[in-house]
This record gives sequence, structure tokens and C-alpha cells, in this order.
Amino acid sequence: MTDDMLRAPAEVKYAEELEWLESVDDGPKPFSWRLSPRMVRLFVLGSERSDGLDREIPQKWFGDRSFVERSIVTLASDRGLLLIGDPGTGKSWLAELLAAAICRNSTLVVQGTAGTTEDHIKYSWNVSMVIAKGQSRQSMIPSPIMTAMEQGVIGRFEELTRSTSDVQDALISILSEKYVSIPELDDDNIVFAQPGFSIIATANSRDRGVNDLSSALKRRFNFIKIPVVTNKRSEAEIVRFRTEELLRRHNIELDLPPTLLDILLQSFADLRAAAASATSDDEKLESALSTAEQIGVLEDAILHSNFFGDRTLRAGTLAGSLVGSLARRTPEDLAILNKYWHGVVEPRSKQDGGEWEGFLEGGRQAIATLS
Amino acid sequence: MSPFGALREQLLDAATAFAGAPAALPGILAGLVDDVDRALAEPLEIFPVCHHSPASALAMVRRLREKQPKVIYLELCEDLRPLLPELRNCRLPVALQAFATDLDGFPPAWGPLSMVAPITEASAEYQAISYALETPGVELVLVDRSSDHVFQWAPKPETETEATGHGEEAALHGDSVGVEIGDLRPRFAELEEHLIHHGKVRHWSEWWDQYVEQPLAGADYDTYRQVMVLIGGLFRRLRPGGGDRPATDEDRERYMWTRIREHLAASGADPAECLHVCGAFHAASRVEQFGLASDAPYEISPRTATRWLYGLIPSSHSAIEAQFGLASGSVSIAAATWAKAVARGGVTPFRLAGRPDTRKRPARAGKAAPVPRTEVTDRLSGFLSTPPAVDELDEAELLGWSVDIVRLARRNGYLASTADAIAVFETSLLLAGIRDRARPTPYDFQDAAVTCIEKDVVPGRRDVRRLCEILLGGDRVGAVGYDSLPPLARDVYDRLAPLGLDTQKRTIQRALLDLGADPELVPCSDLLWMLRYLLPPDAVRPIMGGRRLGERSIQESWDLALGRHQRSLIELGYEGVTIEQVLEQRLRRAVWEPAATAAVALAAVEDALLFLGGKRFVDELGARAVELLAAERTVDDAPEVLRRIRRLLGYYRATGPVLPAWCEAFVSAGYAHYCTLLPTAFVDEDTGVRQVGAMLGFLFTMESLALALGCDRAQLELAVRQSHPEAPAKVALLWAAQSQLGVLPQAELRSRCDELLANPLVVPSFPLYITGFVQALEPAPGLAGFVVEVISKAFGRLPDSVLLPWLPKLITMLRDQAGELVPVLVREAGRTFPGTLAEVDAWVPPWSARPAPEASRDPVPAGPVTGLLVAHPSALDAVAELLGCEGEWQDLATDEPDDQEVRALLSAHPETAFAVSALLG
Repeated sequence: MTDDMLRAPAEVKYAEELEWLESVDDGPKPFSWRLSPRMVRLFVLGSERSDGLDREIPQKWFGDRSFVERSIVTLASDRGLLLIGDPGTGKSWLAELLAAAICRNSTLVVQGTAGTTEDHIKYSWNVSMVIAKGQSRQSMIPSPIMTAMEQGVIGRFEELTRSTSDVQDALISILSEKYVSIPELDDDNIVFAQPGFSIIATANSRDRGVNDLSSALKRRFNFIKIPVVTNKRSEAEIVRFRTEELLRRHNIELDLPPTLLDILLQSFADLRAAAASATSDDEKLESALSTAEQIGVLEDAILHSNFFGDRTLRAGTLAGSLVGSLARRTPEDLAILNKYWHGVVEPRSKQDGGEWEGFLEGGRQAIATLS
Repeated sequence: MSPFGALREQLLDAATAFAGAPAALPGILAGLVDDVDRALAEPLEIFPVCHHSPASALAMVRRLREKQPKVIYLELCEDLRPLLPELRNCRLPVALQAFATDLDGFPPAWGPLSMVAPITEASAEYQAISYALETPGVELVLVDRSSDHVFQWAPKPETETEATGHGEEAALHGDSVGVEIGDLRPRFAELEEHLIHHGKVRHWSEWWDQYVEQPLAGADYDTYRQVMVLIGGLFRRLRPGGGDRPATDEDRERYMWTRIREHLAASGADPAECLHVCGAFHAASRVEQFGLASDAPYEISPRTATRWLYGLIPSSHSAIEAQFGLASGSVSIAAATWAKAVARGGVTPFRLAGRPDTRKRPARAGKAAPVPRTEVTDRLSGFLSTPPAVDELDEAELLGWSVDIVRLARRNGYLASTADAIAVFETSLLLAGIRDRARPTPYDFQDAAVTCIEKDVVPGRRDVRRLCEILLGGDRVGAVGYDSLPPLARDVYDRLAPLGLDTQKRTIQRALLDLGADPELVPCSDLLWMLRYLLPPDAVRPIMGGRRLGERSIQESWDLALGRHQRSLIELGYEGVTIEQVLEQRLRRAVWEPAATAAVALAAVEDALLFLGGKRFVDELGARAVELLAAERTVDDAPEVLRRIRRLLGYYRATGPVLPAWCEAFVSAGYAHYCTLLPTAFVDEDTGVRQVGAMLGFLFTMESLALALGCDRAQLELAVRQSHPEAPAKVALLWAAQSQLGVLPQAELRSRCDELLANPLVVPSFPLYITGFVQALEPAPGLAGFVVEVISKAFGRLPDSVLLPWLPKLITMLRDQAGELVPVLVREAGRTFPGTLAEVDAWVPPWSARPAPEASRDPVPAGPVTGLLVAHPSALDAVAELLGCEGEWQDLATDEPDDQEVRALLSAHPETAFAVSALLG
């Protein structure tokens, strides 16, 4: 089944693993959860020998253990979960994994945009059916959230803060009363949430202030802040994990040399340090320099070397992708990259040599092309 | 799963992971059992403890009540023993401190040596100390190596113990080296990381709490002992072989056992009535001196001749955490756990009587007969197969916390409500469940509170995590009671008593001193100024009022934070008995240091005058200043010396009829000294123009005094003549000096400058000349007008490319020496330039208004002598040739109207002239 999809949702991709976990799970399960909280944690964070399982469960989300625990516990309580953090920190991935583990359905998603209306959260009508048969449950189109309520599963709301405040506030009654009334219908006009229903929302901390959550809504969500991963070891694991997945998906046979991964991580770490010490926005790259961005750079480089190169990932290609992905504003971003290349990469290539030399050359060319 | 099952699995896992080869594992496991067996079979009862472990403290209380030992051997530096009774007067936590400044046998760079051993109430050692001190007939013997040995055995001053800023409470220990009883922690980072990772906890304190503390809380004594020794043995076996630490650990064990055997032999105590309290790590020792049965010799190395001073300093939970690398809040949580266990009853802790905050003396537990120790039974294998009973109180406590944290959060700006309290409570339980804990720990509660209450922004100063720490006891800061303070500190408190403030409080207090109305406060003010000199800047801070030479305020106001800086005050107490004595010592030490300079000595003289008075001491310092000046080979300090000696001379002239002898000696020595160094200073590249300026300033402004004291002006003239500087700034300075000496007329100086300005090759360096002239304002204030003129010309005529880059330099130079240079320059400029805008248009600079040099020459008056010389010029020409002067004869002024009139007048009334000539004969 996964072969038919460009990107299979977590519950499809890890279906077999989830089945197995459910079969060995003997812990207490809240509501209609398919796995106990401990097993959910194990599914997300991977197993260890001390867990005493017969098979190894790989780690799927990399980050502080307590974030996952707090998220799971929140979903078991009667509050919604709001994952908040910089772009590319893995909020949506964590949300998807949690939904997949808890209810095997991570696709009940509402995407928050400036154009999201209350209909997207509650329900809308199939106009031609209404004309033909009048308003009834059959002619009603339930939103993903309402579907989640009816089925007692987890509904997801991506980029909550991108939608306007009045739309956000439609969630208040859903989260506190746990039902949606349909005043247009005379009977059967209330949809009650089944046990197990909860909402995982994500919000981008860079959007703060665009559409601030009302305090009434804030109260109904537990906030979990996901920080940018700065631990080099876990970041390397994330990048490797995601890239391998990508290579599998594209059926690309290509080696990822560890030295190049180191170079990528190191250069991101340097650029982050530079951004942290910058005093104005002009001295900062526009990019958040998140882990996802790194994966993007690596993906770009891999695809480039696979289709246009000699099927070997080279430092020069990586440098070109890095410059290409990070230089969004001319001349500010280019100037920063230029400074970085000459101030940091050049001395390092002289000192350490190796792949850094190719990296230096590739970056220079890329900057020259863009400027 | 039993509580210890998890622990065992963890430890075995760790042992497998770090044992190297799988074959080593059975060896380690067998060794662990051997360790436990050996420690428990020892006839002298060993009580293994861990620092900041309430479980240890509880087990200690129970054991002490049960066994009632007669002698307690404690793992603590033996030379700290006399301090222990002083704990009665203190509010815990405090730290026992050993301090040494006079080093003998240690590299001088290590000094001052300072070592602290913090004592908290929730510790097993405090229980043992209280029991021993409060129970008659019980002897407390400290058996660990002395403070001196701590440093003897240290490879270098330990850097790990640096208290790195978590606020001021965390810095309470300063840079002391910390020692603790029962340091039980993996000895290498990987093992700790492994345990934390597999224990699914965040830091070491949490691991300890979950895997050892909680299961042990209700365990019986045998289980407690066996588990502690087991953990100690594991960490001992899994430690890296290299480094000095294992050797030090073993040396300490040899030391302790040797001391114990010595004491037993000397006192004849029955080992069955003794208790040896030591870290679990040391309980699993394998040194050959271990045990009473051993007679392996160990020679204790003698102490060095360093003189150690001892005292108590205040400590705090955060200081302990910072010093020993514990997670923030962990000591507070341990204290809260202890308080909870005590409140729950079952144990009555020992307390030292006379503690300031002892509410009521706890009832002594009924004296049960000492229980003899029974045979050691194996508790390890059957590790607690029953889970701990669910405790009613825990739920009530958690409920209380949940309600309290919401209240606290509301007070700190969070929109928290009762719904949040419910959510926190529920989430704590769920979190404990997901983390395999029988009941929520404070750490779970903290996580739950953060989850439920923390939103996207922190509204106030503190976030929820910090609020939780406060709720769970917060940081507690100890204080050393008055009676335990060193005499100096007590003296300070006594002498500040007239202020009517509680100076022991930790808040900042404002003291208002109206010295005019209350003359009896003058001694307080004197003391405060001395404290300001000796203590860190925040301890006492004057808000209003100042003290300078010859200047005293009639009203002063001070911010006093002595309570917060109690440690600094106590450490001052190691230096002397009174503040005056310490100050005198410090000043004397400053001037006798090998690196001392004349400027330092003059500063010391000034401080002595300000704070101590006393002619004898001031004279002694002054004499030293003269000595230092004469021995100096550089003139780097010349500006400082000049400033200070001027101020001192001004002070002495204003206050007494005669200058002190040392002042006169200083001036005459300085005159000779600077004259000698002047030529070298002028050419030496390393000597700045400012220094040379200051030397000249000294020479010119002190000249009259120096000459009066018998110095010779010729010395200065010769020195100036010998100076041949090359740097433009110094050349300008030399010109100024020559002009001041009368060797170089101002007109000549002016023409030289004009030449420089006219020469395009020199123009770029012209600003340097100005720098020199500006510096010359100090030695030759008479040149001020000329300096204004040169600067004005430079502004007018220098090209922008030269002028603009130099301007900032001029400004920074003037700002650096604003006190001396700017007033002179501004006054002179005000005199030269027009005062109003309207006058500017018509203004002509005085120097351009002057007639041309030819015209300015004074006409040679006609007269009989002139006439004669003009008539016979050969003699004068010869003289001029001999002297090397070139010149030409001027025309005689012939028709000067003034002259004519005078002549006419005299011809008309010749009587006066005749009378005069008659008078003159």
C-alpha cells in the first residue's frame, strides 16, 4: 500500500509495527486508545533493551523525552495539545506520530490559513444535495475535526495561529463542551464527541502576534514548546534518519559520507551561533536554520548529485545546495554567507583540509553565481 | 516490578555496558557481593551515606536512636572538629571553612587557600553531629584528612568547583574548594549518561531520587546498608583507572582507618559501641588498611607549616548545587522530602539546642535500651518484593502543591485557575504512571505544572519551573549566628549598632547619618568608609556623601547589605581582630609588595590619611614612597604620582604649618629623580608623551618647593639641554619646556610652528606636535594662550584629510585628562575668542592682528651711547663675531614725535633736569 503513495501517513508506514505493539501491549489504555501511554512513548522514542521487547522499535522523533511524555499525558487528559516552536523543529511529525499511535488515524487534519473559516472546523453543506433533499445529516459535510469527534479519535489542526481569531475561537466550545450543535437541523442536531477525542494543534512561534490565541482558548490547550535541536549528536541522528528515508523513497543508492554530514552540521551550528550574536535582522539569515532545513539541504544535494552528478555526493554539491537554500534575500543573505565562507570556511579548509576544501570551492562558486 | 528490581536491572545494564568484555561481568558482580559482605562483616559498624539524601538522614536517625553509639567516626576533615559546636548558633545551611593566606609548603600562586564543607539540615552528617553533641558521653571523632592534606593531595587547585554564576546566592562559597561527606556519583561521565538515559530521567539527582531515594525511604536498616554499599561498590569498580582521583580516594580511606584504629587504641572504646559514618563509596573500599583486623601500616604525611584559620560561612542550597554540580533545585527538593518525612512522624530528628530558629525542643525519644546488632542477614537477594504501600499523605500533599502552584502562578501574572489545579494534579499522576513511578515525584509535579500552566509567554519575572522550585522550598540561605562569628565581624556589628538597623538581615538597608546633628554617629561613618574600602562594592554603598582628602560630608546615606555579604566579612575576620588592624595590614602589605610603585605607596598614604589618621603610620608609608620613587627605573606612573603628591601637598598645606618630613624628602627626591630620567624619557619610545608631560609638570610645579629644599635649578636646565627627542609630540613638549625655562622666546616658538604649517611635508605630522603642546599645558600653564593659537591655526589651515582623522584622538586625549587640561584650555579659549555671535564677524585673531615681525622690532632709542656705538661699530662687530651672532645694524630712530616733545619740554623747563643732575652729582 505504501508503494502507491508518495508519502504514506505514519499509521500506514508503521502499520505492522503498530499492530505488533498493540498485540504485546498489556498496559491500561485510556478511553478508546489503541495503545497504552507507555507504548505510545515507546513507538515515538524507540525501544531499549531494558524495555524487554522481542523486537527493536526504531526511534522516530528525536528530542527531549519529557516533551513526548508531557504530550501523551496531555492527550490523556481533557485538554488539547498545542505544539509550539520554530519552523522545522518536528512539531507536525510528532503530532502525526502521536495521532497514528493513539488512534491509527493521523489524516484528520485542518490546515490553518488566512482563508480558513468556521466551516472548515465544524461542518459545511453539500449545496446541490441541500437543494435536492433539504438539510439533513446526509447533505452535511463534516469537517475533519467533527469526524474525529464522532469517531473518538485525534483531530489535528496545523498552523493554528495562521487562521483568524474568530475561527480559532470556534475550537473553544469543541474543547470544553465536547459537542457541536447543528442548529439547521430539527432533530439529531448535536454531534457529541466520543471518548478518545482530542486535538493536537501546532503553531509556529515565528508567527506570534499575527493572530494571537484568545486567553479562553489558551486555557483549553496545554502548550509544549519544542526547541530547535542544538545537540549535535541527536541532530546528526535526525538528519541521517530522515535522509535514509528519503533515499529509500526515491530508490536512490548513494552513500552519505559521515564527514560530509559533519560538515553540514558544523556549518549550521556556526551559522546559528552567528545568528544568535547578530544584533539586527539584516545580520541574520532569514532561514530559521532548523533541522528540517538541514534535511532539505541534504536532500537537494543528494538529488542533484544523483540526477546531474556522478551519483556520488560531493562536498562542492553540498555547498552549492546550502547556499542555494539559505540565500533567500539578496544582498543580505548572500553577504552573510559570503562572510561566513571567507571568515570561517576558508581558514578551516586551510587548517583541516579534506572535504572542507571542496566545500569551500563549491560554496564560492555558488555565491558567485547568485550574486 | 519491585522498586529495587528496576535499580538492579539498571546497574547490571551499566555494568555490562562498561565492563569492557562480557567475561568481566561475572567478576564485577561477584565483587559487588564481596564488597557488601566485607563491609557488613566489619566489627566496627559502617554507616554508608550519600550527600543530600533524606533517606540517609532518616536511616541515620533511626539507627542512632536504636544503637545509641558511644563514639562516632565521621568522614570529615579532622581539623574542622572545633567548629562543630558553633553550629548551634547558625541557621543552616552553613559551610565549615578552612582558610589560609600565609602559605608555607604550597605554591604561592595558590593562595589564598579556602575549603568549605557545607552542612544542610537534611543530611545524615548533621544528624550524627547533633546526636553526638547533644548526648552526654558521646564522642565525635572526625577522621578524614585535614584541610592541609586536601590541598597537599590536590594536583592543582581544583577548577571543577568554581561557582559559576547562578545569581548571588550561588556564589556564596566564592572560589573555595568544596568537600562533602558521602560523595556518591559515577566517577566518569559516560556511566552517568548511561544511567540517566536508561533510567529515563533528566539529571543525576532525579535518577538518584527515583532509583535509590524513593525505594530506600521506607526500607529497614539492613536493606539500606546493603543497597548503599552495593551502589558504592559498583561506582568504585566502574571508575576509570587513570588520574589522581582513585589514588586520593584510597589514601583517604587509609587515613580514616588509621585514625580510627589510633583512636580505638588510645581510648579503649569498644568497637561494638562505635559507628563509622562514611560515604558509600568508601564503605566498599578494598584498601589493605580497611577494617579493624588489618594492621597494614600507613604513614600519615605531616601537614605543611601553613597556618590555617577556621570559621563558619553562610551557605545556600543553590550554592551547594552550583559547587557540586547538582541539578538546580535538587538540594531544595531533598530538604522538602526530609521535612515531609519528619512531619509524617515515625522519626524524631536530632537538633542542636540553641539554634536560633528552633521552635521548640523536640521531645526526646524514650530511652530505649541499645539494641545490639544482630547477625547480618542477606537482604539483597530478596530485595523488597512488596511494593511500597500507597501513601494517603502523598495524594493530599500533591493536591496541596497543585493548589499552591496555581495560586503562586496567579500572583506572578499567569491566568491560572482552579481548572489548572485539577489539570496539574491529574497530569502529575499520569506522568508518574508513564514514568513507572509508584507516586509522583516533585520532578513529575514540576513537569505537570509546566505543561498545564506555562503558555507561550512568561508574563512575569519567573516562569513556572522556577515557581515550582520556590514552592518546593526554594533556595534556603543560611546565616552564621552572632556568637559564632569571628571577633572582627562581631566588632563590626557592635559598632554599627548605633545606626539602629538589623545589619544581619539579608535585605538591603538604608542608613541615614546626620553627622552634624548626631556627632556620635561619626565613628559609624568612619567604620562604613573602611568597610567600603575592604568589602566587595555592593556590601556597603554610599548613596550620598563622600570622603576625600580634607573633605567630609555632614550628612551621609548608605545602602547596607552586610547580611548578604556575611562571608566576605567573616573572611576579613581571618586577617585580624579589628577592621583598623586589617586595613593597616592591607596598606602595609600593598606598599611592601615587590611590585609596589611610588604611586601605589602614595595611594596608600592617602587611604591611611582618609581612614586611619595616625601620623606615625602615614609617615611610615610616606617614607616607603620616597624609597620606591628613588628606586624606580621607569616613569610610567609619573602622571599618577604627580596627581597624588599634588593632592597630598595641598592637604598638608591646608591643615598644618609644616610639611611632614617625608613630603619634603619626596619632592626633593622626585626633583632629582625626574631630572635624571628626563633625557632618556624624551628619547625612549616606550615612554608616552603623557608621562614626559607629567615629569615636566612635577619639575616645574614643584620647583619652588624643591629649590627651597636645596635642589639646584641647573640640574633641570642641563637635563633639558641634554634632551634630544625625535618624536614630534615630544619635540613640541621640549620646546614648551625650553620656553618655560626662558631659553626659547615665544616669538621663536610661534615662527617654528608657522614654518611647520607651511611645510607640506611636515603637515601630516603637525597634529602630533599639537598633542605635545596640549600635554605641555600641565607643566607650562603660561603657554595656554599659545596652545589655543596653535590649535586654532591647525583647525584653520590643516587639510581635512589630516585634520579629521586626528580630531577624535584629540577629543579622547582631552577626555582622558579632562581634570587637568580642559579647564585651562577652555578658560584661555574663552579669553581669546569672542563671546557673542555678532562679534565673530568682526573678530580678528590676536595673533594675526600683530604687526609683521620687522615692524614689531622695538626702534632702537637714540642716545649718546647708541650714537657712539653706531659711529664706531668695529668693536661690537668683533664681539658679535666672537659670540657667533649674526645681525645687522639698525637705523637710528631719528624723528620720533614723543622724543621730540620730551626734548622740547626739557629745553623749556630745564630746572628739573639740572636739579636731578645736581642730586646725582
